Amino acid sequence: MKNFANPISNTEIDRQKLIDSSQFQSIHWLVLALSVILTISAWYIATAQLNKGIAERFERESLQVIELVKERMVLYEHALWGAVAHIDASENEISSQQWQNYSNSLQIDRTYPGINGIGVIYNVMLEQRDSFIQAQRIERPSFTIHPQHQEQELWPITFIEPASTNQQAVGLDVAFEQNRYIAIKNARDTGLAQLTGPITLVQDAKKTPGFLFYAPFYKKTLAHDSISSRRKSIQGVAYAPFIMYKLISGTLAIDKRLVTLKISDNGQSLYNDLDNADKSIIDPNPLFKEQIMINVYGREWQFTISSNLTFRAATASNQPYFILVAGIIINVLLLALFIFLSRANKQALAYADDVTRELKIKTQRLKKSNQDLEQFAYVASHDLKSPLNAIRKLVSWLNEDCENILPDSSKEHLRLLNNRSERMNKLLDDLLDYARIGRHEYAPRKLELSATAHEIFSLLDHPSGFSLTVEKQELRLPKIPLEIVLRNLISNAIKHHDKASGQIKILYKKAHDMHQISVQDDGPGIPSELFAKAVEMFQTLQPRDKVEGSGMGLSLSKKTVEHYGGSLSIESDGLNGTTIVILWPVSQEIA
Amino acid sequence: MTTKKEVTLLLIEDDDIDAMSITRAFRKIHLGNTIVRAHDGLEGLQLLRSGAVPSPYIILLDLQMPRLNGLEFLQEIRQDPKLDKSIVFVLTTSKSDEDITASYEKNIAGYFVKEQVGDGFLDIVKMLKGYWKIVLFPED
Repeated sequence: MKNFANPISNTEIDRQKLIDSSQFQSIHWLVLALSVILTISAWYIATAQLNKGIAERFERESLQVIELVKERMVLYEHALWGAVAHIDASENEISSQQWQNYSNSLQIDRTYPGINGIGVIYNVMLEQRDSFIQAQRIERPSFTIHPQHQEQELWPITFIEPASTNQQAVGLDVAFEQNRYIAIKNARDTGLAQLTGPITLVQDAKKTPGFLFYAPFYKKTLAHDSISSRRKSIQGVAYAPFIMYKLISGTLAIDKRLVTLKISDNGQSLYNDLDNADKSIIDPNPLFKEQIMINVYGREWQFTISSNLTFRAATASNQPYFILVAGIIINVLLLALFIFLSRANKQALAYADDVTRELKIKTQRLKKSNQDLEQFAYVASHDLKSPLNAIRKLVSWLNEDCENILPDSSKEHLRLLNNRSERMNKLLDDLLDYARIGRHEYAPRKLELSATAHEIFSLLDHPSGFSLTVEKQELRLPKIPLEIVLRNLISNAIKHHDKASGQIKILYKKAHDMHQISVQDDGPGIPSELFAKAVEMFQTLQPRDKVEGSGMGLSLSKKTVEHYGGSLSIESDGLNGTTIVILWPVSQEIA
Repeated sequence: MTTKKEVTLLLIEDDDIDAMSITRAFRKIHLGNTIVRAHDGLEGLQLLRSGAVPSPYIILLDLQMPRLNGLEFLQEIRQDPKLDKSIVFVLTTSKSDEDITASYEKNIAGYFVKEQVGDGFLDIVKMLKGYWKIVLFPED
């Protein structure tokens, strides 16, 4: 029965596969986990790239602001050195009118945006004060120097253009205040352009932070290559006052930047966008913020630069979120797909199980019904046999007891009665055999085909003209069923032969795990259209009175072979003999 | 050893024709032994227990019978200390291996299939004739 076990276990394997695929396996989780990791990584990398780009952009923006401020300062420095050059180039002391002309020709409003003015401060010794004032009053009668202070020298702002917006500065002695004074001394001592610390310009009504920018000039005739020589030869400084917010407005205006700017000098605020700019673009929680110290003409300016809302808007990118959302969608779809597949498999499994259950029930019913039928055939034929036997006996007794008194015709009738009883008896025997096929399982055992066939042949009541040739072959088959089949086939070959003599051959070959046994005769053959009828139960191809037979031989053989998993087929051209081919499965060796 | 007594045959057989066959065969080979006929196992058991079957006896038993069948009858007598040594031959239509095995498990002396014991049961009757000519019976 092992050959039946294989398909069952295959079905089991298939079912197990279905169960496996209906459950979430580690591979599913692995794929999902990898997909999630991939999504998060892609999101993370995209975010990091973006942040890096943003940080670089902020760096660029802040550097640009600082560079612009530096550029401005260089531009102003050039303006101051230009003024110094103008003063140096004059043969005589320059007059207020000359300075006004110079300033006008410079068009400082256009050339130096953000500058509040450009002027000249002379260095005046305390004892020269009055003569200096007198000299200036020639041109400007209201000229005076103010305020008073304790220093031994004076640094009065002598000229400043445009005069109209700097009126308050004219005559202001910048030595009165330390920021202005220290820076001017530094300029004198170094010979370099210098800035003051944060101050409030006297001309600034709003009192906002500003600074002065000085460039020193010396007496043309004297050397000024050392601090002492510079101190001796100092004549004055060209200067420019600045109001910081005006400097920043214009090219540095906040609407041209993405960053908020705050500049302080030594802790004192010089400029703060918070005080001057539209607060709606200032980011209360800036993405980036940095502080940079820049040395500007003798001062340390601290730039505090932070990103503002326009920076946030300009750099905002949804790309990482798109990646994340797309990834999550893919993962959800993947999960849904897995769930769907698993559910589909579960349904398939449930369906298969249902079908299997129904099939099992049906098979059981069929088996039961077959068993009932076999049981019925068995009991019926068995129970029919005893009255038949009784009839046969009674007939034989009649024959014995009345042999001398019966007329010949009655004797003939008794003979026919006996003959029909015999036939019925044979029919019942075959029916019993047929019903019995499924009732008993015969184990395969070693046998020799030729010996088995010859034994059967010798037991059959065959005419002397018939001979049997069989190939010698060792087999392992259930012996009794094989005998039943061979007996019926050999018996058929003899019974249905059309001549008094004949040749029966039994051939063997092995084909695909099947024993192929062919029983060949040289009788009249069976027309192919009668093949199906030949194997039907109770069918005879000739009248029973002509050829004795139950009509069960072939169907009994077929059922027997099929019961053991084999098959039986008829080969005949309907003229030259019949070959019955039996395929019998090779029995599994029991180890 | 006592003098040889005539052996009685207890024939337990529901089929009249088969019973007649046995009697006919007895007559045919001129056997004069007493035949006691029971129609089923129960009747056979009653006959044995009532002493209607004189010792020594042998039993020729059919299997398929109404009321008490052959195997049940065997079961009964093998449990009965007075009858458990009875010699029983089974004569039946059944060729089934189950019946044969079950019968021998009940210590029968022989199992015969009706259609294989010759015309009119002659073979079995001849066998019985020879059998009880030489066999020794257990003492009562």
